[in-house]
Amino acid sequence: MTGTIRLLLPLSWRNLWRNPRRTVITVLVVGVGLWSILIFAVLLNAWSQSSRDTTVSLMTGEAEIHAKGYLDDPTAAHRLRMPSGRLAQILGSRQTAAWSPRVRVSAIVQSEYKTLPITFVGVSPTRERMISDLPRDIVAGHYLSGPNDQGIVLGQDLVRRLKTAIGRRVVIMAQDATGQLRERAFQVIGIYRASQTAEDEFTFTGIHVAQALVRAGSDVSEIALDARTRNELPRLITALKAAAPDLDIQSWETLAPLAYAVSTFFNSFILLWLWVMFALMAIGIVNSQLMAVIERVHEFGLLQALGMQPRLILCEVAIESVLLIGVGVIVGIAAAIVSVAAFPNGIDLGFLGRGAELVGAGRILHPKLAMGDLVLYSGIVWIAGVVATLWPARRAAKVSPVEAMGRN
Amino acid sequence: MDPIVACQNITRHYRQGIIDVPAVQGVDLNIMKGEFASLAGPSGSGKTTLLNIIGGLDRPSGGTVAIDGEEISQLGANKLADLRLRKIGFVFQAYNLIPVLSAAENVQFVLQLMGISKSERRRRAQDVLSQVGLSGLEDRRPARLSGGQQQRVAVARALASRPAIVLADEPTANLDSHAAEGLISLMKDLNRSSGITFLMATHDPRVIAHTSRHIVITDGRIASDEKRHNSPE
Ligand SMILES: Nc1ncnc2c1ncn2[C@@H]1O[C@H](COP(=O)(O)OP(=O)(O)O)[C@@H](O)[C@H]1O
Ligand SMILES: [Mg+2]
Repeated sequence: MTGTIRLLLPLSWRNLWRNPRRTVITVLVVGVGLWSILIFAVLLNAWSQSSRDTTVSLMTGEAEIHAKGYLDDPTAAHRLRMPSGRLAQILGSRQTAAWSPRVRVSAIVQSEYKTLPITFVGVSPTRERMISDLPRDIVAGHYLSGPNDQGIVLGQDLVRRLKTAIGRRVVIMAQDATGQLRERAFQVIGIYRASQTAEDEFTFTGIHVAQALVRAGSDVSEIALDARTRNELPRLITALKAAAPDLDIQSWETLAPLAYAVSTFFNSFILLWLWVMFALMAIGIVNSQLMAVIERVHEFGLLQALGMQPRLILCEVAIESVLLIGVGVIVGIAAAIVSVAAFPNGIDLGFLGRGAELVGAGRILHPKLAMGDLVLYSGIVWIAGVVATLWPARRAAKVSPVEAMGRN
Repeated sequence: MDPIVACQNITRHYRQGIIDVPAVQGVDLNIMKGEFASLAGPSGSGKTTLLNIIGGLDRPSGGTVAIDGEEISQLGANKLADLRLRKIGFVFQAYNLIPVLSAAENVQFVLQLMGISKSERRRRAQDVLSQVGLSGLEDRRPARLSGGQQQRVAVARALASRPAIVLADEPTANLDSHAAEGLISLMKDLNRSSGITFLMATHDPRVIAHTSRHIVITDGRIASDEKRHNSPE
């Protein structure tokens, strides 16, 4: 085996460079193809990552706990007690990175000019900061100072639509636990910036103020939580479900189906692109190797006449392909690494304006070349490329020496 | 003593569309060890076909061929390749060499196929190349050798594996008369000094004048077969 390799490797390598132009073109075809696959994977991964992060870090958390029925009818009628017993134990354990209780009900906000439907959220600011990025994205005024803060924090776009401002008042109307309509005036103390949908939807006040408004006592609507690491999330959810069988416990995949769909859609898109690029590459590779073989029919006849077994000839041509495509793969990997390294601070999607939000991405994508992807896609390209050239190689091995030599 | 080549009633037909072309029609031929034989005849008489059959490159339509006592008509493609490797040295009219390998590498390649050790390969390549008068040109690729030098490399390569017989198909056809003379006297010397058996298809009178056995083939049949003992120098 090593003898065969030692015999064929130098021959294959030199044959590869007999027609440098064609070899370079094939190397470029493979290199550019692989580069585009890798870059595509990198961008789409960054995009879906960012879309997930945006969702998870905005409000959802990695998982949420609700009373049964809440998700279908998000009102104060569906509440849960503050965690106690086994549930509190798990939330307090190292498995859970952070958790935040919220009152969260559908409501209506009213200014002097306009009335709009919103989601009214009461939070405990210290806990909320550990789950959500939103408290950090304040563009005017300040965030809530504690669970008893009576101010209200609104999204930038909502403020514009309500034609209100910091220091002005808005009225919140919501149903309480018994179905009674309740209302209360709030002073606008802070304005946050997020995606337009989020800005239009979420308004925040202190959790105790919200509990009082909807007469929820010390109950809450939901608990958002993050696992210590994302890999441990499924196990954490299983543990929580066991501890609180009468509650609804779901991960972000189910809670934010859009973000989840985006990330799965992108994965199938990468696969599709892989096939398209691969088909193009295969045509290029097979074509060039077939040419290389046809040009050398006489030589294959000669090699057979000299006593080289047909299967060795097959090996020789196969090794040529392994080398040829290998060089292309290395070029593609190098190009991908260089391209990704060119954006150390991520890619700012600011130029897309609010368009980027439509698919749920954040403003800055952080492209990262995952080792697993690199190995997977390079491997697929390499192996499939070599398999594609086995056909030309078989032709080379099947050359009848007499006919080949007859073409003098 | 067994013959190196033993052909019995060899026939070979080519089908061209509906026409049946009989290229070789019943040839009986034995070549003994140490012979220096020419196979002459007009173009299209079947020389190449017969040589290819003897060398295991082509299969006869009928009859049997034995090389060094081994019947070859039944061998598969890989076995036949092995037989050519061990028993037969080929010298063709042109394009005999692997273009990406130097003269020495061309010789060594066949030895490497045979599994001969590196030092032995080096030694033998050096030896045969100097025997054919190419010392100093070992590292040249075929493109940088003249036609005559290329044919000498081919002869050297055929000799290096120490085959039972060297089959040469019009080895001088592409050479000027000086190079042709040089090549033929080289082969004759090798035949005399090392006892290597040669069978050469040719209609080159310069070659025929040197051979000690002269076989003539016309229309795929042996027309005459004569041994000559005192060939001119
Ligand atoms: N591949 C082939 N297909 C059909 N006919 C062939 C083929 N090769 C040789 N022939 C025919 O066989 C005959 C003998 O050819 P060949 O052995 O090449 O003669 P020579 O070498 O003496 O010139 C010729 O009539 C030739 O046309
Ligand atoms: Mg001929």
